[in-house]
Amino acid sequence: MSVQRTLPGFTRAARSILSNKKGALGLSILLAFIFVAVFADSIAPHEPDEINLAEGFAYPIWFSLLPQYKNHPRNIELNIQSEAWSVQGNCTEFYMRNGWITCRLATTADVETANVTMTYSFEYPYSPPKNFYSEIPYIVSLSGSSGSVVRIRLYIIAPEGKSYLIYDTRAIASNVSRIDPPASVDSRDVPLKLALGFMPFDELGEKIFSSRGVYMIRISIIATLVKGSNLSVILGPLRFRIPGLLYGVLGTDNLGGDIFSNLVYGTRVSLFVGVLASVVSVSLGLIVGILAGYKGGIVDQVLMFFTDTLMFIPLIPLLVAVSVFIGKNLYLTILLIALFSWMGFARNCRAYVMSLRERLFVEAAKAMGASDQYILFRHILPLLTPVIYITLVLNIPGAILLEASLSFLNLGDPRVPSWGRMLYNARYSGAFSRLLWWWIVPPGLMITLLAMSFVLIGQTLDEVFNPKLRARRLA
Amino acid sequence: MTSLVRYAVKRACDRLSVLIVALVLQFVLLRVLPYYVLGIDPSFFFMNPNLTNEQRELIRRAFGLDDPLPQQFVKYVLALFTGNLGYSFYTRRPVIEELMERLPNTVALLGTSTTMTIMIGLAIGIILAVKRGTKIDTAFISASVLLNSFPAFYLGLLLLLIFGFYLKLFPLAGSISRPPPTDPVLYIADFLWHMTLPLLTLVIIGVGGYALLIRSLFITQLGEDYVVTARAKGLDDKTIVMRHVLKNVLASVVTIIALALPGIVSGAVITETVFSWYGVGRWLFEASTQFDYPVVQGVLFIDVVLTVVSLYIADLLIAIIDPRVRLR
Repeated sequence: MSVQRTLPGFTRAARSILSNKKGALGLSILLAFIFVAVFADSIAPHEPDEINLAEGFAYPIWFSLLPQYKNHPRNIELNIQSEAWSVQGNCTEFYMRNGWITCRLATTADVETANVTMTYSFEYPYSPPKNFYSEIPYIVSLSGSSGSVVRIRLYIIAPEGKSYLIYDTRAIASNVSRIDPPASVDSRDVPLKLALGFMPFDELGEKIFSSRGVYMIRISIIATLVKGSNLSVILGPLRFRIPGLLYGVLGTDNLGGDIFSNLVYGTRVSLFVGVLASVVSVSLGLIVGILAGYKGGIVDQVLMFFTDTLMFIPLIPLLVAVSVFIGKNLYLTILLIALFSWMGFARNCRAYVMSLRERLFVEAAKAMGASDQYILFRHILPLLTPVIYITLVLNIPGAILLEASLSFLNLGDPRVPSWGRMLYNARYSGAFSRLLWWWIVPPGLMITLLAMSFVLIGQTLDEVFNPKLRARRLA
Repeated sequence: MTSLVRYAVKRACDRLSVLIVALVLQFVLLRVLPYYVLGIDPSFFFMNPNLTNEQRELIRRAFGLDDPLPQQFVKYVLALFTGNLGYSFYTRRPVIEELMERLPNTVALLGTSTTMTIMIGLAIGIILAVKRGTKIDTAFISASVLLNSFPAFYLGLLLLLIFGFYLKLFPLAGSISRPPPTDPVLYIADFLWHMTLPLLTLVIIGVGGYALLIRSLFITQLGEDYVVTARAKGLDDKTIVMRHVLKNVLASVVTIIALALPGIVSGAVITETVFSWYGVGRWLFEASTQFDYPVVQGVLFIDVVLTVVSLYIADLLIAIIDPRVRLR
């Protein structure tokens, strides 16, 4: 019996998978997933751990095609630099460099009041947003005689003319620098809401940007200068941001992270866990099975005792306890999954090796003086390859589902963006009760599809390698 | 009958050894590995970080953590078998007392779901075997591939969302209404009402695999000579399947169930957590996240005992159904 003829090569196996409808379906789904996993960096627009990309719980951007979401706010990011400002009032010395504006003021009179305003206007075309954020670095330096005071204020002016004071330096009489960190405005700030006359639970964005139209951002510098003193105000680029409620292919999660990117990177995790856990478990099973089957006797009995015993220990309770007490680590999870899933294969393998051991060609090889090693690697292992292939593939879905379940219970690695973890986040941030289906459905669908592709391929391989089974199925 | 008794004793020893190995494993994974290899002392989880070293030593000694490992293990096993599972760090109540409150719920859920899964699986399996090759057969096989790849927790969540949250047909959480009904009939009805969704989840996830296994068992049997003989006698399909084939297949069916038992106990952790079922599985999950060490150990022990006891019952059932097994 030639080894070559009993052992279908990889290409032949692939061809027979493709000629089977089930196998072709499974393989094409799997290839699509592998493609996504390999090119995750280029497919996903963001890193999986980026947050605050838009408002939390933002709807997918393509919702804007529907009439009721047509005017839903989208991200507005302004980076207002030197030339963009229209400046009123006179500085003694005024220049712009690298986006920074410098305004120097000096006086010849005994006491003089200077007033400089800078305005930027922009169109806000959407329905009211929830929040806005703003940031501007500045340096104020006062030198010379004392008694001079400067005050810088930041306003938003609504189309109907109402102005909102959102940042106030108060009176400054000494050198001040707010470069790092810059002066920042967060509309969720309760003192700010109260200062503007709103209630603590009002959404400031909703109140201020209540209508569509041209809004203005204004910086006003008011200085009272005593003779001999020198004031310079240096302003950096102002960043103004209104996080949108429509963002990305699948919207955002509770922290404003991109769900689509998370989904894409999740493919990597699931594939990695599934394949690695399966490889480790199959190797373990192979070693134990071959040892037990080939050596027989006491080795066999001891190994089989452990195999049977491990088979009857409930796995998930143990995994839950261990992952909490030892730590949440992706590799540890993989190792534990593998450690508790090799038993079935070890039993199969042992039975197979035991029957092969008695075959004539093994006996002939032994009679010719072949070593155990030679017989194992040249005669027995090649005959086991179909079983190894099949088990490798069929073990993967279980590992994928198990990892997803553990992550869903928040027992997975917190640094890893897995699909189970997405569902955990969705559940605990209330996505289910809000029916954010674009967040709930994709991860579950992905898990199912990926697991299914391996089941389909495994079953096809099974039919290809065991023609008897095929006959029985058709019987 | 003596052969049955001998078989029963032999099996009891086998199953008891599973229990012991499980205990060793649990001891190694939860006590030896964290403490001696990773340097995590489980007792730190409940100790006040402001304690002085002497006070810590005192507490450690009080818990017997200074004893050599083998001695700790023997103590631990003896305590477990005498029902002394320690006190919960969290509620300060005896673990065994709290366990007894939750165990009936878990046993009810798992018992009912397993029985229903087997019954439905058997029925579907027989129908598919008789109708093999037809459209119904292929449709079910494809459906079961899909179901096998469906995460149980996800199915549970979807059922909860649809039937609990939107249609409001079933409760969202818990195993009994608060306050519980006083009338015993209403009490049972309320309990069953709460149990419906978790039960449905477990049955839907489990039934596909069983049905396919039973189908292939039946198909193999249908090709046997005795079936041909029966058919030659003029018996109809129904009689052949129900009176002849079923008897021959039953032992294998029980074996399949026995093999699935650890998985059933495992799966309960996730299903109970999703449905906030007041059972042992969810308790294990909660206790783990609270580092409630005695509870975790106690529940793991009970889970293994539950599995081993049901396995033993399955063993005896097989021996009664198929006397040939006793001689092996």
